[in-house]
Amino acid sequence: MKMHEIREVIRLVDESTIQEFELENDGTKVTIKKALSNAGIQVTETPTVRPEQTTHVERQAEGQAPIVQQEEPQSVPTPTASEEKEDDTDLHRIVSPMVGTFYQAPSPDSEPYVKVGDRVDEKSVVCIVEAMKLMNEIEAEVKGEIVEVLVENGQLVEYGQPLFLVKTD
Amino acid sequence: MSSRIREQLLSLLLEQGDAFTSGEEISRRLQCSRTAIWKQIEELRKEGYQVEARPKKGYRLVHRPDRVAPEELKPHLRSQRFGWSIQYHSQVLSTQLIAHDWARKGANEGSLVLTEEQTKGKGRMDRAWHSPPHSGIWMSLILRPTITLAQAPQLTLMAAVALTRALRRETGLDIRIKWPNDLLINGRKFCGILTETRGEQDQVQYVVLGMGINVNTLEDFLPDELMKVATSLAIEGGRTYHRVTLIASILQSLEEFYDAYLKQGFEPVRILWEEYAETIGREVRTETSQGTIAGMAVGLDPSGALLIRHQDHLQPVYSADID
Repeated sequence: MKMHEIREVIRLVDESTIQEFELENDGTKVTIKKALSNAGIQVTETPTVRPEQTTHVERQAEGQAPIVQQEEPQSVPTPTASEEKEDDTDLHRIVSPMVGTFYQAPSPDSEPYVKVGDRVDEKSVVCIVEAMKLMNEIEAEVKGEIVEVLVENGQLVEYGQPLFLVKTD
Repeated sequence: MSSRIREQLLSLLLEQGDAFTSGEEISRRLQCSRTAIWKQIEELRKEGYQVEARPKKGYRLVHRPDRVAPEELKPHLRSQRFGWSIQYHSQVLSTQLIAHDWARKGANEGSLVLTEEQTKGKGRMDRAWHSPPHSGIWMSLILRPTITLAQAPQLTLMAAVALTRALRRETGLDIRIKWPNDLLINGRKFCGILTETRGEQDQVQYVVLGMGINVNTLEDFLPDELMKVATSLAIEGGRTYHRVTLIASILQSLEEFYDAYLKQGFEPVRILWEEYAETIGREVRTETSQGTIAGMAVGLDPSGALLIRHQDHLQPVYSADID
C-alpha cells in the first residue's frame, strides 16, 4: 500500500465510529485500532506476502503522537475467507455502512426485504441496519440475484461487514 | 394562491391582536380585492376561526382553533430554514411515509410534514405510536446532511438534545433523555424520535427525523397499557400548551444544534446529552446478540455509543433496548 493511501484510511477511520479496522490488500495487512478514549489511533501493518516491505506511519491530525506497531513479518501468508472460498470472488458483497443491528424485515412480523434467489436492482432495499435508533435502509447498489444472506436477523454487525452476496448481471 | 392570501390574512390579524383592521387596509396590504378578502375570512371561519366583523371598524380575530396549520405556525417561526416549506394534513397514516416520499421527490432540507392526527403513527420497527387528534405534535423534518452513514446515528442524539432544550425552556419541566433518544418526565415517556435514512455507502441521501410528542393528552385518553410508561406535557405540567409555540421553538433549537453539529462535530452535543441524560450513573441492563451486558452507564464515547462498565471494562453499546 502507498503511504498516502494508509494516511487516507487512518483519517477515515479516525473520523468514523469504527473502533477497529482491518484491510488486506496486495499482500499487506493493515490493522487500525482506536483507543476507547479516542485519544490515539493504533496502526499495525503486517506484511503477509512480501516481508521486505517496511512501514512507517505518521498520524498528522491534532498533533497527537501516533502509536505505531510493527509486527514481525510472517513467513506464511494467512489465508483469508475470500481465498478459501474461491468462487466468492465474482460475487458482489453488500456491506454494512455502520456498526449496528441487522434487520431483515421492516417489522418482526413482516416478510424479509429479500431472500436467497430474489432479484434486486440498484435501488432495492435489502435490509435495515439500526444504531442508536437510526433506522438505515440499505440499498443493493447493484443489479443481480441474492445468493447468500451472511448474517442473522437481529445480529450486531460491524462497519464494512459483508451482509449479502449478490451475483451481478 | 388563495391559501397564501389566507396565510397572510391570518398573520396580519394575529399581528393586530385585539385591534380592528379595516377591509381597506387589509386589501391594500395583501393587494387583493375586498371580495377576495371576504371569501378568505369565510374560509377561516369554516376552519374554526372566529372573526368579528364590524361596520366602519373592520375585522378582528376573537378565537383561534387549536391547529398546527402553516398559517398558524409561520408567524411564530424563528428558524431560518427549518419549517418554512410545509406539507400540512389534518389526518395521515404517518408523517414519516409522506416525508420519505417528499424527500425522494427532491424536497429541500428543512421541509416539514405536519399533521393533526396520525392513524398509523410509526415507531421503531413499525411499532404503533398512539397519536390522537389535536393533542400532540406529530411531525417529520427532512435533513440533507453532508455526513457519512456511519456518523448519521449521532443525529438522533443531536435531536434528543435539541428537543430537550427547547421543551425545558418552554415548559420548565425536568425533561430527561433515556439512551439514545426517548424523552421522559418523572421516568415516563412523552416524546419519541424516529430517525430514518437511506444512503449510499459513504454519503447520506437524506434523513427523515420523525417526532411524536404528547402535549395536551390527558390521562383519560391514554390507553390503559400505556398509563405506567407514558405521559404528556399537560399531565406533568398541570396545564395545556400552545402546540404551535412549541413547534417553532423546537425547530429553532434543532436548526441551531444541527448547524453547530455540522460545523463543530459531535462533542458539544455529547456533553449536553450527558448533562440531560437520565441513563448516566445508573445500573442498566441490556440484551445484545453477544449476550447480556449489565453495569453502570458511565457516558457516551466520542461516536455516541453508550459506555457501560461491564466486568472491569467499558463496553460501547450501539444498538440495544436499555432497561
